[in-house]
Amino acid sequence: MAEEFEPKIVAFLCKWCSSAGSDLAGVSRMEYPPNVIPIQVMCSGSVSPLYILSAFKKGADGVLVSGCHPGDCHYIKGNFYARRRIALVKELLEFVGLDPERFQMSWVSAAEGVKYTEIIKDLVKELKPLGPQTKLRRNP
Amino acid sequence: MVKLEDLRQEAAGILKSGKVKYIIGYTRGTNGFRPIPAFIKDPDDVENLIWNPACVHNLTKFIVDEKKRLKKEKNPDKRPIGIIVKGCDSRAINVLLQEKYINREDVYLLGVSCEKTGVLDEKKLNKKLKGRRALQVDFKDNGSWLVTTDSGQEKIQAEELLADRCIECKANFPVVYDIVFGDKSLRKTDRPFQSVENMENLSQKERWEFWKEQLDKCIRCYACRSACPMCYCDECVVDTISFAVEPDTPAEEKAQKIKWIEKSPNLSENIIYHLTRAMHLAGRCIDCGECERVCPLDIPIRFLNKKMEKEAKTLFDYEVGFDPGKPSLVSSFKDEDPEDFIR
Repeated sequence: MAEEFEPKIVAFLCKWCSSAGSDLAGVSRMEYPPNVIPIQVMCSGSVSPLYILSAFKKGADGVLVSGCHPGDCHYIKGNFYARRRIALVKELLEFVGLDPERFQMSWVSAAEGVKYTEIIKDLVKELKPLGPQTKLRRNP
Repeated sequence: MVKLEDLRQEAAGILKSGKVKYIIGYTRGTNGFRPIPAFIKDPDDVENLIWNPACVHNLTKFIVDEKKRLKKEKNPDKRPIGIIVKGCDSRAINVLLQEKYINREDVYLLGVSCEKTGVLDEKKLNKKLKGRRALQVDFKDNGSWLVTTDSGQEKIQAEELLADRCIECKANFPVVYDIVFGDKSLRKTDRPFQSVENMENLSQKERWEFWKEQLDKCIRCYACRSACPMCYCDECVVDTISFAVEPDTPAEEKAQKIKWIEKSPNLSENIIYHLTRAMHLAGRCIDCGECERVCPLDIPIRFLNKKMEKEAKTLFDYEVGFDPGKPSLVSSFKDEDPEDFIR
């Protein structure tokens, strides 16, 4: 029997909220799919479009950028900048024909372990039927 | 109409009085109707200055080059440079001012109006002339052009020959200038993002097929980057050659430079290169079309930049190059920016 496709998701989590949120999910022993590769960044505003494109190039099936809720940013306004920039990246990726589900953004606070697991579950569910991402991949 | 005599007189005047170092403008080329950029230092040479719909180049790039050259000179001549700007070029100047790359007193802007038309698209002209050779293209009244060919003159409606970007241009008149020549009235555009909208209406698969075919052609000559007035960074993320290496740069530092994008021209790397470039030009591209004009493989690079311009307008109500005092697109935000795509 052929093995089911398991999407590989790269998640850029901001140190102060989303990363702590994923930690909370871990220490609370909540169950969620193991498909996600978390990368801690200092702020969602520090996520360069190059990080995202690079992740896709190296074979990510989906990319998630997650930061603090608006107004909760440790650096006061980093996530507002992120919101603008990520919106542009998302539009651009869709414009060249990448599936919109493959690139997502979320707000996850340090107390929202449950929300984090829900987002990962949803993402895996959405990405599974799409199959492997071959469009931007270096060696498909 | 732009009176060439006035333009030449003004140019000679500012050169004679020493107000400007030299003037960057257009002059007759040696190949048919195509003008070439001219650098005029001598007031007697101003007779060579021309202005017609074939003056497609964005001369702002030379201001950027001059700025880089000045940095290396020991005793730089700090007088301003005179430059002839169309509507789009003047917006490029505005973006450079906004980014504080140049100061307003570094340039003396001789604005020229596009006479409610714009510049021509050579391919459309060749198609229209059906094999005849164009020798000269001039502005005529009421949005028409006078095309001189080897077999006589012909009056053609400008709309038939206009470059795509000029059809979508919303300000075919300089927005910043010291002195301006020509008709101030604007040509009306009902759908400024028509080409992008047509593209968006295609299905996701069709769009991918289109870009796959187009970007697979790219040979990574970086002509688009070289011709772009906004691509002025000394270090460019896409190629390691441009990284600043000095005699005392340690080997570790050289080794630690991240290669975000490989040099090899394959589809994946090409897409990443063009998307990165589009992102770097988001809110900065003034749609002068130089990247597309210089591309040896005719990749419609302009589309990507135009898409960013459209999103800047529709999502964030940001228009490029009209107000040098405003913060740039990605270095500012509003509380009401859309976030319906965020979970």
